[in-house]
Amino acid sequence: MSAIGKMMATREAQKLWRNKSALLAIVVIGIYLLTALFVMAGGITRDTCDSIVGSNKLPGFFQQDSPEKRYENATTKFLSKIKRALTAEDVTAALKEVKLGPYHAADKSPAELETLVAKIDTLAAELDESPNLDIDPSILPKLAELEAAESQLKAPLSPWEQFVHNASVCLGTDSQGRSIFFRGIYSIKIAIQIGLVTALFSVALGAFLGAAAGYFGGWVDHVVVWIYTTFSSIPNLVLLVVLAYAFTNSAAKDTLLPVYIAFGATFWIGTCRVIRGETLKLKEMEYVHAAQTAGFGPIHILLRYIIPNTAHLMLINFSLLLIAAIKSEVILSYLGFGVKNQPSWGIMIRDAGNNGDVVGGFFWEIGFATALMFVLVLAFNILSDALQDAFDPKHV
Amino acid sequence: MSEIANEIVNAELVEEKVLVRVENAVKHFPKRGGLFNRVIAKVHALNDVSFTIKKGQTLGVVGESGCGKSTLGKVVIRLHELTSGKVTFDGVDISTMSNSQLRPIRQRMQMIFQDPNSSLNPRMTVETTIKEVIRLHNVVPESEIDAHVDQLLQKVGLRVDDKTKYPHEFSGGQKQRIGIARALAVNPEFIIADEPVSALDVSIQAQVLNLMMDLKEELGLTLLFVSHDLKVIDHFCDSMLVMYLGNIVEEMPCDDIHANAKHPYTRALLSCNPITDPDQRGELTILEGEVPSPYHPPAGCPFVTRCPLKTTKCETENPPLLDRGNGHRVACWEVE
Repeated sequence: MSAIGKMMATREAQKLWRNKSALLAIVVIGIYLLTALFVMAGGITRDTCDSIVGSNKLPGFFQQDSPEKRYENATTKFLSKIKRALTAEDVTAALKEVKLGPYHAADKSPAELETLVAKIDTLAAELDESPNLDIDPSILPKLAELEAAESQLKAPLSPWEQFVHNASVCLGTDSQGRSIFFRGIYSIKIAIQIGLVTALFSVALGAFLGAAAGYFGGWVDHVVVWIYTTFSSIPNLVLLVVLAYAFTNSAAKDTLLPVYIAFGATFWIGTCRVIRGETLKLKEMEYVHAAQTAGFGPIHILLRYIIPNTAHLMLINFSLLLIAAIKSEVILSYLGFGVKNQPSWGIMIRDAGNNGDVVGGFFWEIGFATALMFVLVLAFNILSDALQDAFDPKHV
Repeated sequence: MSEIANEIVNAELVEEKVLVRVENAVKHFPKRGGLFNRVIAKVHALNDVSFTIKKGQTLGVVGESGCGKSTLGKVVIRLHELTSGKVTFDGVDISTMSNSQLRPIRQRMQMIFQDPNSSLNPRMTVETTIKEVIRLHNVVPESEIDAHVDQLLQKVGLRVDDKTKYPHEFSGGQKQRIGIARALAVNPEFIIADEPVSALDVSIQAQVLNLMMDLKEELGLTLLFVSHDLKVIDHFCDSMLVMYLGNIVEEMPCDDIHANAKHPYTRALLSCNPITDPDQRGELTILEGEVPSPYHPPAGCPFVTRCPLKTTKCETENPPLLDRGNGHRVACWEVE
């Protein structure tokens, strides 16, 4: 870390700080990282993402459903739960059990509730006479009346609950009525987590093997080159799918472990190749000869003379691998081999496609997942480009 | 009186003591290629090279690019392994020692490198670079390290305040001084200087050379000084080796090289040196042709392809390096 700290004070780093788009990218990435930390600290849990917060495919920006759907919502869901509770043997206990999303039954006597239910039924019967609610504007006041009566069945939300509910529906709901906003935000944590773990592991392994292969040469070099040539001759995605399949019956299948292993096995190759090449160059530098004539051992020379001087390449590779890992995670999850049983942008995009949302013009789920991924990948691309400009001027 | 006389005798004995002896050193660099990475050719970088350096002596090595003079320096300090032959340092054969056995000897021999821009680790401050070497060899106790570093920097003419700076903050001449300070940090007896001034401006060259000369006097160093510049060698060294295509063609004291040089190659080199005094200008010998490929050196004398004095004997037999008296050795059939 101290090597990176020193590097940040050099002329190259000054060049990076002067790059306005790079600074913007750093700010954007910072916001994503903070969000991921917030999710990790328990700000948004998996339960929040899986709970149903409203009707299916509710559009975002607090738009209302079509009248037909509003009618259906008001006369089924919560109302039917209340009706069932009112017919139970222990009515008071049954009413306490009633719950839909954040809503509970209002703190009223069963008799009062029955009056309300009767009123709703009457209004519903009147609305039933209209052949199609969607093309008949005259029924809108009556529909509003129906909804008002229905909302009296529900206990009022506290301001905080109201805020959370508003947030959860601000970008609409998916085909199962789950919050698109929360699922998208939770996926940031998944993406950043997979990206960071994969990139850190790959860069560390690649740098170590690459530097060792380049410096020692001989059989060490042969073994390392043989391994990465073998790995890189296998199509990347196929290997990832095979590794993910291998875990389908293990205890780890619902964790991120298969994804880490699949990515870790393939992503170190590029870094290893670059660092090996740089080491071949560096080991002929006179300061390395000087260290050898001074009597330093090979491990000391690797750690103090070779690897610190490849730090710029490691930094660039780190940011490139991070993007690659995030993108691959989305692709794998889309195909159904990646993240399981938790939200991920890939899963959101697949859900949106499978449920006919996109064809039907419901773009909120696919739009939000894609936008979040797009901004993050773009920011990282700009940053790694700027890093390359600043630290590796030979690279075109 | 007798004590003083004894001291003088002792001093002379020490003077005569051989510090470095290179015997029949051969270095080939294999070129690999083809199927199964076979050795398909060899660069003959050093070809049966033998010489000695006495304690306190400064030996210059001169020759054109690719003649093996840098390889010679690196072989002596074991940066390259010898193909065959032997290097003895202070009576001990170091050419077959392991790295751990070599470590105490490394403290006694150090190297100054050619390119000041690449001879310092860009990620280390001057202080770290020098301290690391001192700690490795426990030259001074931990409490005295700072003072030792300051003293070294002053000795090579750098400001003590600059020790926390990184190499890129210095000029070429300053960097070379840091390189010298690093080499001196472990109090070595023997220093190999691999073209220490050829990457510097002429004005800076003089400064660095004078510094090295002062340090040599002050510390009683023994030096192997590699250069392609005859004037620098003449100015700096007690004696010199002239190399051509991996062979020593002439070894002579640097008293009056213009008058004493005998080998046709040395004479050609000398005639290329501009002389300011018009009366001293001799005839200009211009060598024809190219240096032969080091992959396939000539069978006889290495210089045969370009020699103005060549005979048929030269084409088949390599002349031995014969002693012509007064420490002057020449490898040529045509020189008496």
